Amino acid sequence: MLSRIADSLFWLNRYMERADGMLRTTLSHAVLLLDKDVNSDLSWQHVLETFTYCSDEEIDVLKNDTRAVLDKLLLDGTNPNSLKVIVTRARENARGAQDHITKEVWEHVNGLYHYVNSPELEKQLHGFQMIETIEELLHESTLYTGVADSTMPRGQGWDFMNLGKYIERCLITIEIADKFFSMIDYNLEDEKDILHWRPMLLSLSGYELHLKNYRSNSFNDNALHQVLFNGHFTRSVIYSLNRLNKYIRDVMQLNETEAKEILHKMFGRIRSRVEFADFASLNKETLEPFLTGVKDEVNDFSMQFAQNFFSYS
Amino acid sequence: MISAAAVWQQYLTPPGIWDEMSTGNIIRQQYDKVFEALQHLSVEALQHKDRLAAELFMNQGITFTVYSDNKGIERIFPFDIIPRIITSAEWNHIEKGIQQRLKALNMFLKDIYNEQQIIKEGVVPADLIASCPHFTREVFGIQVPHDIYVHISGIDLIRGENGTFYILEDNLRTPSGVSYMLENREVTKRIFPNMLFENKVKMVSNYPLMLHQILIQLAPAQVSNPYVVLLTPGVYNSAYYEHTFLARQMGIDLVEGRDLVVDNHKVYAKTTNGLKQVHVIYRRVDDEYLDPLVFKPDSVLGVPGLVSAYRKGNVAIVNAMGNGVADDKAVYNYVPAMIKYYLNEEPILPNVPTYELSDAEARQHVFKNINNMVIKRTNQSGGYGMLMGNSASEKEIDDFKKAVEADPRSFIAQPIIKLSTVPCFIDGKFVARHVDLRPYALCGPEGIQIVPGGLTRVALREGSLVVNSSQGGGSKDTWVIE
Repeated sequence: MLSRIADSLFWLNRYMERADGMLRTTLSHAVLLLDKDVNSDLSWQHVLETFTYCSDEEIDVLKNDTRAVLDKLLLDGTNPNSLKVIVTRARENARGAQDHITKEVWEHVNGLYHYVNSPELEKQLHGFQMIETIEELLHESTLYTGVADSTMPRGQGWDFMNLGKYIERCLITIEIADKFFSMIDYNLEDEKDILHWRPMLLSLSGYELHLKNYRSNSFNDNALHQVLFNGHFTRSVIYSLNRLNKYIRDVMQLNETEAKEILHKMFGRIRSRVEFADFASLNKETLEPFLTGVKDEVNDFSMQFAQNFFSYS
Repeated sequence: MISAAAVWQQYLTPPGIWDEMSTGNIIRQQYDKVFEALQHLSVEALQHKDRLAAELFMNQGITFTVYSDNKGIERIFPFDIIPRIITSAEWNHIEKGIQQRLKALNMFLKDIYNEQQIIKEGVVPADLIASCPHFTREVFGIQVPHDIYVHISGIDLIRGENGTFYILEDNLRTPSGVSYMLENREVTKRIFPNMLFENKVKMVSNYPLMLHQILIQLAPAQVSNPYVVLLTPGVYNSAYYEHTFLARQMGIDLVEGRDLVVDNHKVYAKTTNGLKQVHVIYRRVDDEYLDPLVFKPDSVLGVPGLVSAYRKGNVAIVNAMGNGVADDKAVYNYVPAMIKYYLNEEPILPNVPTYELSDAEARQHVFKNINNMVIKRTNQSGGYGMLMGNSASEKEIDDFKKAVEADPRSFIAQPIIKLSTVPCFIDGKFVARHVDLRPYALCGPEGIQIVPGGLTRVALREGSLVVNSSQGGGSKDTWVIE
């Protein structure tokens, strides 16, 4: 496979996964913010911190203004992480690799691009249909996953696409978890009730799973366990790492590369760090460095991986 | 609900012009069934089909971008839903004519880049060739596989007042539009399935397979499983959709210049698994951008060293480099003479009478009759660099005259031919609009094949004779029926 194509497929899915993560978070917040009494301390602050490069002053101005936040997150062409920009980039990558994705995948990304760029979208987001519209966007994003899964042939292209997807997913989960644990100052002893974790779990589509699986009242520990170590939760860090492990192995098998050993070891270290982490040892002092450490290592791995497989210019 | 039958009453064919459907009061036989079927549809139903067609193009990304206010707006190339129909008899004539012409043009290219007999014998003037900007000295003497230079061509035909088909121009470099021919048919299948079935329309969809077969045959003989790629200038090229479409339909890799590298006169693609040798390149990058070591040194679209690999015969390039000398608008005038010289035959399809403006007498004649003339730059296409004498302002005419006087070799003139018209469905009405025809011919070791049909381009503005998409043109599905 051409290096450029592998690169485009990798980024196509990274951007689509980012769009998905952002839409999921946006939707859950837009809905929760309508319940004023219960979520009185909830604002858009950490969503803005996660998905934009706004300064603290800007965030202060924006954080309670849903309409302005939605414009910033979804439509603002000057925000490099807005839905509009992300989808445009995804489409550019899809366009560059059009002969390696199926017609269905291309048409879906292209259709989403036209939807995101249509003048009606702004009107819908500002009107009565706000929630419905975000839901529709999220629905399109979910459909993308399905269309890709049911039409893309398995092979290298698929492997690179999934590597992009799970690297992005892993980073988004760490980022969102980090924001919510920073709110309690990483102090797992400081008991919060489930309502504190609800926005985080809904943003990761893990709320129902949580209610079904975690019965004790140690809400902080439970939430942490689910987002980091629950192998059945599709947005947990360990789940993403397990998937990455499979696709990395597949790609290595098909491509003889000098850096094989380095990449293999590098990834092994990250996975072991999470898989064999001592849950009991995570506390006020160790949690933040742990999250940051995993995030940095995943980023380093992604860069090393790109250097090895995508350097073509 | 308005019935289409009532709207047809208002269909007017301009006098003195060949209409493909109607002779004024009688519907030509080939249009009988289509005309009949359309009578039974309402205008609303046709408008619905029109919208459906537009959506199909939009969703597939068959669009080009128009920039205004710093915002890119995506538009589709306009498609008119009423097909243009050609009879088998007409098609046979066109097919033979194009085959004959391509045979001669291929022999001309071989001759001009090797022995140059045709110049030595005075059939084509040496200064005409020497002054042609696309005569490429850098490829002189290169032996191309099977002596084929023009593998893919899109020769433009027009139909004059009395129904005669003329050759308007030869596109022998990187002709585009074939994806529209194929996609137009796919859209028609969705909007008029019954009509297609009833009219026994000949298939065009095997074009990519035919092309792929030819590309494989051009690989160096000792390679059993050649690696064939399509070289594109990239996603910002206006024909990028077509490049991806063809690559996908043929199942070959779509590459950009930066994906390729030349080492020891061999071309390689950079893959995730290291370098892989390329044997055949179907390039959609113009000659002057192909190799920065030989042509434009600042080109980033090409591959340094490509010409050296080509010269050594390690890679086949399709179409061959240097073909521009044969589709120069001034050289065009000599194609009938080439047919006589190389094949000893009379041309089956005539040229449009052409005046070379480097000839003082011809120039005077053209200036005197400028209102009935079209003046074209010899090295431009796409409807650019052109003056329609019947509709240009005094100032435009004066400016053009000055430009011609300054550099007469770069211009030719032709009498304005009123192109034939075809009914189009525009704004809920049936109106006559002018069309041309571009059949796509493929030339391989086993001969010249042309898929029955081609791209009918239509000038959507009332009275306009310019069909280029850059000048407000659209396209139609083209049927050859039994």
